[in-house]
Amino acid sequence: MQESAELRIEGAAKRFGEVAALDGVSLQVARGELLTILGPSGSGKTTLLKVVAGFEKPDAGWVKIDGVEITALPPARRDIGMVFQNYALFPHLTVERNVAFPLEMRNVAKPEIVRRVAEALALVELAGYEQRLPRQLSGGQQQRVALARAIVFNPRLLLLDEPFGALDRKLRETMQLEVRRLQRRLGLTTIFITHDQEEALVLSDRVAVMNKGTIQQIATTTEIYERPANDFVADFVGESNIFHGTMSAPGEVTLEGGRTLKVRSDKSAGAKVGVLMRPERFDTGGANLFTGDVIESVYLGTSFKLRLACAGGLELLVRQPARGPLPATGARIEVGIDPKAIHVF
Amino acid sequence: MSMRGFWPAVPALLLLFFFFLFPVVRMLGFSLEGGSFDWYAKALGEGLYLRVFWNTFEIALLVTFFCLLLGYPLGFLMATTTPLWATVGFIFVLLPLWTSVLVRTYAWMVLLGRNGVFNRLLIDAGIVEDPLPLLHNFTGVMIGMVHVLLPYMVLPVYGAVRRLDPAIVAAAEGLGASSWRIFWRIYLPLTLNGIFAGAVIVFVLSLGFYITPALLGGGRVIMIAVLIEQQVRETLNWPFAAALSAVLLAFTFAVYALAQRFTRPQETA
Amino acid sequence: MDTRKLNRRQAVSLLGGAAAVGAAGPAFGQTEPPKPAQIVVNHSGGSMGTAMRKAFFNGFEKKYGIRVVETSPADFGKLRAMVESGNVEWDITEIGGQDAIRATKLGLVEKIDGKIVDRSGYPEKVRTDFVFASSVYTTIIGYRTDVFKNGTQPKSWADWWDTKKFPGARSMRNHPTDNLEFALIADGVPMDKIYPIDFDRAFKKLDQIKPAVTVWWSTGQQPAQLLLDKEVVLATGWNGRFYDIIKKGAPVAIEWNEGALKQGSFVIPKGAKNPYWANKMLAEMSVPQQQAVYATELGYPGLNLESLKYVDDKVKPFLPTQYIDKQFWIDDAWYAENGNKAIELWNAWMLKKA
Repeated sequence: MQESAELRIEGAAKRFGEVAALDGVSLQVARGELLTILGPSGSGKTTLLKVVAGFEKPDAGWVKIDGVEITALPPARRDIGMVFQNYALFPHLTVERNVAFPLEMRNVAKPEIVRRVAEALALVELAGYEQRLPRQLSGGQQQRVALARAIVFNPRLLLLDEPFGALDRKLRETMQLEVRRLQRRLGLTTIFITHDQEEALVLSDRVAVMNKGTIQQIATTTEIYERPANDFVADFVGESNIFHGTMSAPGEVTLEGGRTLKVRSDKSAGAKVGVLMRPERFDTGGANLFTGDVIESVYLGTSFKLRLACAGGLELLVRQPARGPLPATGARIEVGIDPKAIHVF
Repeated sequence: MSMRGFWPAVPALLLLFFFFLFPVVRMLGFSLEGGSFDWYAKALGEGLYLRVFWNTFEIALLVTFFCLLLGYPLGFLMATTTPLWATVGFIFVLLPLWTSVLVRTYAWMVLLGRNGVFNRLLIDAGIVEDPLPLLHNFTGVMIGMVHVLLPYMVLPVYGAVRRLDPAIVAAAEGLGASSWRIFWRIYLPLTLNGIFAGAVIVFVLSLGFYITPALLGGGRVIMIAVLIEQQVRETLNWPFAAALSAVLLAFTFAVYALAQRFTRPQETA
Repeated sequence: MDTRKLNRRQAVSLLGGAAAVGAAGPAFGQTEPPKPAQIVVNHSGGSMGTAMRKAFFNGFEKKYGIRVVETSPADFGKLRAMVESGNVEWDITEIGGQDAIRATKLGLVEKIDGKIVDRSGYPEKVRTDFVFASSVYTTIIGYRTDVFKNGTQPKSWADWWDTKKFPGARSMRNHPTDNLEFALIADGVPMDKIYPIDFDRAFKKLDQIKPAVTVWWSTGQQPAQLLLDKEVVLATGWNGRFYDIIKKGAPVAIEWNEGALKQGSFVIPKGAKNPYWANKMLAEMSVPQQQAVYATELGYPGLNLESLKYVDDKVKPFLPTQYIDKQFWIDDAWYAENGNKAIELWNAWMLKKA
């Protein structure tokens, strides 16, 4: 069995006319790792995927698999399994023939093909569906066929291009976990592309957040969430309260509106900083207290989501455990946040 | 079909009724003049007419074959090239449809004649010594008919290739298929419907040709439409003309039905 | 027919006609039906239409203020369909010789009004009641003068059949008429003994020439074009088509000997909308001076014998009427009876492997 590989991209750039789809992207994916590339549409993530798969040639930079450059190699010779957004199953071939396709292309012997197709179909729990045509399958089943087809030939790398976009929420969650399980079990080096930050957090070892053709931050999921590198990452991943200000004293930030916050940061005095407070990190008390009027309140089952208008024009998004009655609009409440829970960047 | 869905089709159906069904029924009536099948017996019994029917089908089949041979790659290229080249392709492919049959035919005479452009080039280049007989024979008819019918093959093929999801081709490529195998395993089976549509149109249209074969075939290539036209305009034997037409129509429907069977979506096991 | 509608149309055309009459001067007080805005003349088209316009239609339009609309081609089947369906679009139409006879028999044509159409200058035998003889044409041999120099061309059908003495690709009409006759003459039948045609003998003789004929032509323009392109060096064809390219300087000449004479004919379809004006049109077409214009243009002389007086001497050698003695007339009556059989045999012969 072929070993899963390590992928390196260095300085990849690609322009389409005036637009830089990729503007010097470098990253590394370790053997067996699942890296998510997260970004809004137009951020360059799909172009990056195409560069890895070989459908686009970068203007500059290189791609290496296990230290061997593949930048100029045609897609057919890269040994990369890929699942497309709409699965791209061959509509005229049965499930069995779809999954056998990459093996046939590699001139694998007939009995071997039969064995490995059965194995792959069992892996995605589709045994018994061999003779169906793609259009006779549900979306989730088509997804599994696409997955089986992408892994049946033991690719060195698995690429998943927004594969869950077309599924409903429940099915999506099931499939996410299933893909995760499969990927771990096979130890497949995987790049997963999505614009859905929640999905990114569920699935990944590490996440690379992309915007405007560059990688904004590449880190573990907790790192990305708790300590985003900039406004974009903070804003794109999860709900957030972001303010800007200056370090007025060690451990103290003065926001643009004049309000001071106690924080934990070793940034030197006078530095311009950004401040991130996650809505769920607010409590009833703490070192930093805010009093505000509820201008919006939503009941979310396990929590309340409140929007508060505070003194100095500050507007806060706060999540509180759903205990007691839902605060009414117009009510004045007090919340606090601990300096530890404030991220300064 | 619900009645609500049926109403928008009414004008088209009326049109079909008055301009197709009604004349065909009248024609059938003509052919059974005096309640006898004598004219059918003549159409199907006499060697002359059977041979011309056979010739006609043979020519139509060959024309279809050559249209496919030329039209598939052409339609394929046009569907996969840049929009600019596709437009250029369209203009050249559609040009014969915008030219009158006589102009087109005389153009072929200028090109393919014994002293035509093509033969002179070949002789000057020393490739042949005597001019090739490209005109006033079967070859001439083939060239002329394929030329004018090519668009009917190219357009459905073009459409079929364009309808194909590019991701499917990319998927095949990513899964390790060479260009050759992508063509045989993906493009060809998935554009079969376009091929059949084009082939049926070309075949059926070929059956009715008579000016091109008369002019480019030197009079030797006789298709059934020539005889029908003779019966209508010269000998004024309308019942016989109707019988010949009805036989042609029946054959055509048979071919069409056969083609339909093949065009069923391929359920490859 | 709805008379009210007719009256309205007549009223409208009267208005149009009146204006034109006003311009042409006052009409005499004869009882002539109201003028339509237009009459429709159907003919074979091409250069023939151009010549007819120059010789007849322009004058007619000027004289009567009635527009002449031209359609083509001559089509017997269409004539029959028009008459039988009662929707007659044509006021006069050209018609082939044998078809004219059959059309008369089938009652598809109107009688020509002798009081309007003066054919006193015509030979007796072509002054028939239903058919107007418009011109004479002949199927003869056209040849390349650069191949057959100084009178070395085939001068008879026996010569035409002699492919050793007169080698080269030939073209003949894809039709039994002419060819059956030529074959019999080549086989030794005197020109006045051709009819009734012996099919067996004719086709047997045709077998001999078949390999030398590279093109069996189906439109009148083809033989001239084939000679021009040197696709063939000998072609049978209608004299006017050769005359046309000779006028333009093509290295082509005509051998008139043993040519097949035919009469160009026009008829008024039964139920034509404007029979009076159709007769007037035929009258215009029988004027010798106008026939001379037509003959000069196309090489097809009219049958008003006086018309030759008005033809330039340079044109006269190209008119078939100069060679009537060494040619023969196609027997339309025989074809009216045997034409269908001839066509069927011709088709079968054409399909036969050489």
